[in-house]
Amino acid sequence: MGNIAADRQGIRPKGRASWLIHLFPLPALVIYTLFVIYPIFSAFTYSLYEWEGLKRGVFAGWKNFATLFTVEPFQEMFWNSFGHNLLYFVVEMVVQNGTAFGLAFLIYRKIRGAGFLKMAYFMPRLLSVIVVGILWKLILHPNFGPLNTLLTKIGLGEWAKPWLGDPDTALLAIILVNCWFGAGFAMLIFLAGLQSIPEELIEAARLDGARGLGMLWKIILPLCMPSITIMTIFTFIQAFEAFELVYAMQGSMGEPFHSTDTLAVYFYRLAFSSAGGGDVAIGLGSALAVVLFVIVASVSAVSLRLMLKREVRH
Amino acid sequence: MRKFRFHAVASVLLTAALALAGCSGGGGETASPSGDAGKSPSGGQGGGEQQVTLSMHSWRVEDTEGYKKLIAAFEAKNPNIKIEFKPFKATEYNTILSTALQSDSGPDLLQLRPYAPGISLATAGYLEPLDNVPGIQNFPKNVTAASTGKDGKVYGMPLSLSTTQFYYNKKIFEENGLKEPKSWDELIATAKALKEKGIVPISFGAKEGWLLSLSNGVIAPASFGDGYVEKLLKGESDLKSPEYLKSVQRMQELIPYFPENYVGLDQNDMRTLFATEKAAMYINGSFELEGIRKLNPNLQLDFFPMPTDDGKQVITTWVDGSYAVNAKSKHKQEALKFLEFMATKEFAETFAKQFHSISAMPGVKTDDPLVDKMAELSQSSSVPYLMVIHFAQGNPTTKQVLENSLQGMYLGKLTPEQVVEEVQKSAATWFEPFKK
Repeated sequence: MGNIAADRQGIRPKGRASWLIHLFPLPALVIYTLFVIYPIFSAFTYSLYEWEGLKRGVFAGWKNFATLFTVEPFQEMFWNSFGHNLLYFVVEMVVQNGTAFGLAFLIYRKIRGAGFLKMAYFMPRLLSVIVVGILWKLILHPNFGPLNTLLTKIGLGEWAKPWLGDPDTALLAIILVNCWFGAGFAMLIFLAGLQSIPEELIEAARLDGARGLGMLWKIILPLCMPSITIMTIFTFIQAFEAFELVYAMQGSMGEPFHSTDTLAVYFYRLAFSSAGGGDVAIGLGSALAVVLFVIVASVSAVSLRLMLKREVRH
Repeated sequence: MRKFRFHAVASVLLTAALALAGCSGGGGETASPSGDAGKSPSGGQGGGEQQVTLSMHSWRVEDTEGYKKLIAAFEAKNPNIKIEFKPFKATEYNTILSTALQSDSGPDLLQLRPYAPGISLATAGYLEPLDNVPGIQNFPKNVTAASTGKDGKVYGMPLSLSTTQFYYNKKIFEENGLKEPKSWDELIATAKALKEKGIVPISFGAKEGWLLSLSNGVIAPASFGDGYVEKLLKGESDLKSPEYLKSVQRMQELIPYFPENYVGLDQNDMRTLFATEKAAMYINGSFELEGIRKLNPNLQLDFFPMPTDDGKQVITTWVDGSYAVNAKSKHKQEALKFLEFMATKEFAETFAKQFHSISAMPGVKTDDPLVDKMAELSQSSSVPYLMVIHFAQGNPTTKQVLENSLQGMYLGKLTPEQVVEEVQKSAATWFEPFKK
């Protein structure tokens, strides 16, 4: 973001070096093709066939997609999971990114101990998702967990709940843990955005009489749009691919009572059914993977275009 | 300088996150670690005196040491065959195995999930029939049924049985003047008496669905009465029938005797409550025996099978895994030889003693009185675990639908009537006798 200028001033490579440099991305491209592009295409072809267990049957056209969207219980499970992904996105945008921007702004304004706070807020991100999941599972434990113990001790005993066992709170609890986990990263992105605003612009605005909230709304936020755009799209991708934390905290069955199903968890269960030991539905699973890919890719691409257009350039 | 470094960190993280986001987009089609069949130098079948190495896959990571001993006994008799036992994480096993089989890199020997999931591998042509392996006739038909394909051939050498029952704390029972209940009403009375003394009667949790179908597997047979299962399998009755409904109602009736916040408790919590003597009873499988004892070796542990309304006892039984030979194995003869060894009484006894589990072969004794009692009951008073044996098909499986609906019932979202309605609806989508 800030140091692109340095590249522009760099010396232009000449002769052999100039074509050699084009070879450098090759290893990455090979890996990317092998592990990203190829699986996407094979998932797409798988989704067009009927499957008897592990055996590929006859060509089925769009039948798997139709089943996914018209046959019960698949239809209900799809929209149920889709709704959960949407909730994931909204809560992360409001709670995680809202908090993160607030924190970034405070650190940007150089409050006391900013350096320490920056580190402290980023800390959770250094843990592995699985560790975070298990840690919070223990904290939220209905009978032995510190959270319920604390609530009981301070006289709010009736607020104590089986957080992850109650369908009304299970998903929200997971999303909030994800917010706690992700806020530090979002904060860094926003902070980078804030720090890339040229001092002169802020000075000029101040001379024109912008102060406090007005300064924030009219000057700082619009100038931060690149980082907000990036974070929004990140959050969207992350929310629609939510899997690891849900899996670490609740397993792959979407328990309790399908309240923690996300599309990725549902996909995992449908395609592999490892935990349930039932029929594997490779065709259906692949169709779901394709749908998930289309949702994530198209929304990301469209919103990137739209938001880039509206960005203020400086 | 400081500022520059921070930007560098931020951009590195950004790139990393992009890469990660990209990677997870494909949807898990990447290859997984698979077997090393064909690793050994010798080719061809029945390699004579040539040294042959067989790969053997399982989901029992915790049994690795025990298998080493069993394998050593086989290798001592068959010096030209070496076996590499390679276990995988239980929840990942099905995925790893199916990917390996699909890409023709499956192991020579594989532990087979019982009933539908294992049989589907046979249907897909990945397994070698075992009907001609000497010793397979030692197993009763209801045992080999766990790995009998749609073509009537047996594809798995049965290993062990699992049973489910009520475990109980003998000390707590004695201190409170309680005895093993002999009927449903006695069971409720026992639970009530314990509750009045401030002891959690039944260690139970509704957070993990599979434990709900398992508990239903224990409680249900006592409410079926004679002939219900036969009628059910012929399609003359269904899962909405009063018999099955009663089993779900009984599961609801137990709610007052569960621990606090039971909807948020999982298997670990249940085991801990019971092993630390905070709860008196615990509905679970024979496979929990070791776990309970490890947590509290001094626990005075015993179990009782489910009492029926007409004064009998029933213990819920099913086959827990068997071993199969990969149809595409390069060393089929050697692999079949190992299965032949698995069918001997010598193997069955060592296995049962080693793992404190109930051998699939009738009449095999261990040095563990509880295991022996389970083994005897599984010969004399066993009932099939209906959901695993007959209703583990469909997608989601009817078993999963039961689990999910029971969870709904415990969360107050479904009535027992709605539970059986859901279960029947699911079974009707694939269970042939219900389609009539």
